[in-house]
Amino acid sequence: MAVIEIENLSFTYTGKTEKALDNINLKIGNGEFVVLCGESGCGKTTLLRLLKRSLAPVGEKSGRVLYNGVEISELDERKSVTDIGFVAQNPENGIVTDKVYHELAFGLENLGVDSDEIRRRVAEVCGFFGIGEWYRRDAFSLSGGQKQLLSLASVMVMRPEVLILDEPTAQLDPIAASDFIATLKKINEELGTTVILSEHRLEEVLPLADKAVIMNRAEILTCCTPREAGAKLRELAPEHKMNYSLPSAVKIFSALGGDGECPLTVREGKNFLENNYGNVYGGYDVEKEDYSAREKAIEISGGFFRYERETPDVLSGLDITVYEKEILCILGGNGAGKTTLLKIMSGVKRLYRGKMRVWEKKIKEYGGNSLYLNNIAAVPQDPRTLFVKNSLRADLLQTACLMGSDKAQAEKKVGEIAEKLSVSHLLDMHPFDLSGGEIQKAAFAKLLLTSPRIILLDEPTKGIDGYSKKVFAEMLYELKAQGVTVVIVTHDAEFAAEYSDRCAMFFDGQIVSADNPVNFFSTNSYYTTAASRISRGLYRNAVTADMVVELARKNGTRKGSGANG
Amino acid sequence: MKAFDNFHPVAPFLYFAAVIFVTMFTTHPILLGVSFACAVFTCGMITGAKKTLKSLLYALPVMIVIALTNPLFSHNGVTILFYLNGNPVTKEAVLYGVDISVMITSVFYWFKSYHAVMSGDKFVCLFGSVAPKLALLLSMTLGFLPKLKRKYREIDDAQKALGIYSRKGYLDKIRSKIRVLGILVTCGLESSVETADSMRARGYGLKGRTSYSVFRFTFADAAFVFFTVALTAVICFLAYKGAADFRFYPTVKEINFGLESAALYLSALLLSAAGIFCEIKENTVWRLLKSKI
Repeated sequence: MAVIEIENLSFTYTGKTEKALDNINLKIGNGEFVVLCGESGCGKTTLLRLLKRSLAPVGEKSGRVLYNGVEISELDERKSVTDIGFVAQNPENGIVTDKVYHELAFGLENLGVDSDEIRRRVAEVCGFFGIGEWYRRDAFSLSGGQKQLLSLASVMVMRPEVLILDEPTAQLDPIAASDFIATLKKINEELGTTVILSEHRLEEVLPLADKAVIMNRAEILTCCTPREAGAKLRELAPEHKMNYSLPSAVKIFSALGGDGECPLTVREGKNFLENNYGNVYGGYDVEKEDYSAREKAIEISGGFFRYERETPDVLSGLDITVYEKEILCILGGNGAGKTTLLKIMSGVKRLYRGKMRVWEKKIKEYGGNSLYLNNIAAVPQDPRTLFVKNSLRADLLQTACLMGSDKAQAEKKVGEIAEKLSVSHLLDMHPFDLSGGEIQKAAFAKLLLTSPRIILLDEPTKGIDGYSKKVFAEMLYELKAQGVTVVIVTHDAEFAAEYSDRCAMFFDGQIVSADNPVNFFSTNSYYTTAASRISRGLYRNAVTADMVVELARKNGTRKGSGANG
Repeated sequence: MKAFDNFHPVAPFLYFAAVIFVTMFTTHPILLGVSFACAVFTCGMITGAKKTLKSLLYALPVMIVIALTNPLFSHNGVTILFYLNGNPVTKEAVLYGVDISVMITSVFYWFKSYHAVMSGDKFVCLFGSVAPKLALLLSMTLGFLPKLKRKYREIDDAQKALGIYSRKGYLDKIRSKIRVLGILVTCGLESSVETADSMRARGYGLKGRTSYSVFRFTFADAAFVFFTVALTAVICFLAYKGAADFRFYPTVKEINFGLESAALYLSALLLSAAGIFCEIKENTVWRLLKSKI
């Protein structure tokens, strides 16, 4: 039986003429795990919010949304609170109170449940989610992933029948994100809760889902099983931006034009390749590039750093050299201190021991602003923190003025850069209203005004979809061509493999290995790309989906196999 | 601080309120002496002996300054010690100064202990049943402030690493910081919209809200509260009867050791030392229990 039924739903926001949703029809069965995907601004959030009565946006609505046969807006108030749970994107703002236990109890307090019952139900939920150890902690002291798990637990404590999540992993790093998604699967399987989730990190979610709903500009493009998603997308909208976000196995399968059941996971992808393709050409040979002739942009030797006197070292004996005109990706586990490393490089924090040179000059010798002026520029994890004005234009103009241009010059400069990064149409918006991909571009515009020689980026691909990543990488390449050095700290192995010149692994306060991405990822077996895992054993040094496809094409299909690439 | 941590927040709250009340409304040297000694000991047991001893190093000079300030301004009293700039400095005024400095320092130490025991969540729990809305507001604020502080640091670092802070003098620096504060307000508003959504999604505003707390009111709490209230009542009664009367001017009154006064001193000692007693008892019990593990 369908637990949620959407019939001819259209929605227009007050004051807008364009429809945010256009004639949506969708049935979601009891206990299904549904993934809703589509580029940002296609109406995912609007659709999800219309499913939750208290969050329904203001505007003109036609059509019906039924929960167990009852129109959502006519549902009993208490029932709509308990039965339909909603988790939003940003865990930072979803948490209401200061203590973990209070947050867990918050929903039940609102429902008027008595203390003993609350204690029992909270205990139960803590057990299920394995969060009992934080019970008495301050909520703000938790990490991002922990906070999102807490948000989820504090909704689950009300025992919802349907759980709705709006891009819950967008602000999380990949490891926390896959933990979170695993928890969702557990909820779905062990409790039978219906899960509806919008997401653009499809690599992990798609294999778990029962149903994939792909949206395109206010409409549902297709509603199908995850295995059909790749083929349907190719057939209905080959230019759709979601094509860039599909799992590697699906990408490879699609590009090779495979027949039959589409592989979703690494294991299935591996089977597909090994059963269908030969390996006469065993892979790529890569040679190490010679960096010795290049100028050293940043050099740290024997660097030690800690935040406070009594806390342990975050960097301990770190050696790293960043050469001019390269894109260096620094990868490493969660909380390993990668962000700290960037803070050292950008001069926000100083080493307590060891040497750091920028362009062969000691960092101490850069007085005042000279370390930054036409030299180093950094973008933090949340690019929103770069903006201090109420419109992008005002902010950029101010930056240009601060960098020493007069008003007319500044306006010209801002105009040029905005044109170049194609953000001209965003100039009059508030920086906070921009989407993940847009804010990244805006941040770059601000960065370029300082005409930097070294750019430091902290997790630039967090929360942006596959297509925006590609656009972003193109910007990086252009900068590199102009002679800019780029250092990126990231968790995103796929991005590093595809676009970097060198990758370095950060562990235990040191750089443990640094190599070109092909060598780096093909020798790693855990910390590597999905494409590398899929092709391992068959091809040497193939670390991106494109490389695997190219090799497979070159090798051709095996006789008697079903593929026709 | 084992004992106070195990109590329901009501018990320590009432206790500290009682001792601070008694200390503040008397000038009797014996009562203040008892209160002072117990305040320092309690603070030592709760925040650690080393820390308290260190704080005494700062507190003692302050006490001396307070004690010396009084005779400079007050020239009451009959026993003149010497003249300063033509003004008499009297023995009574000096003693009164010492008395007041002891009172102020004891209140300071009681508050120090109170602060260490009553964390934010205990305070919230205390008001949860009386004023649930206020309690929630308090809890939200306690959660919001650290968030805002972290956001400020993030923005500040981001601005710094772009070289936006100009190099010219303090005025520009202040201007830059004001810009950061301005955007911080926008950030705060933005995040509170989402927080409000999260509250509504979980049914805030429904009728019949309850208030949950992790603390349970046990028999031990009841006993402690009863003990505190009873002793405070006894002290108030005896003080009302005049046992706590004391005067410094024009001559210092002799300290009374009559039956009523003795009873007063004893109850004050019992009340002030109750915290220490509980701590010692709990620590011994804990050591005993630990030896069995």
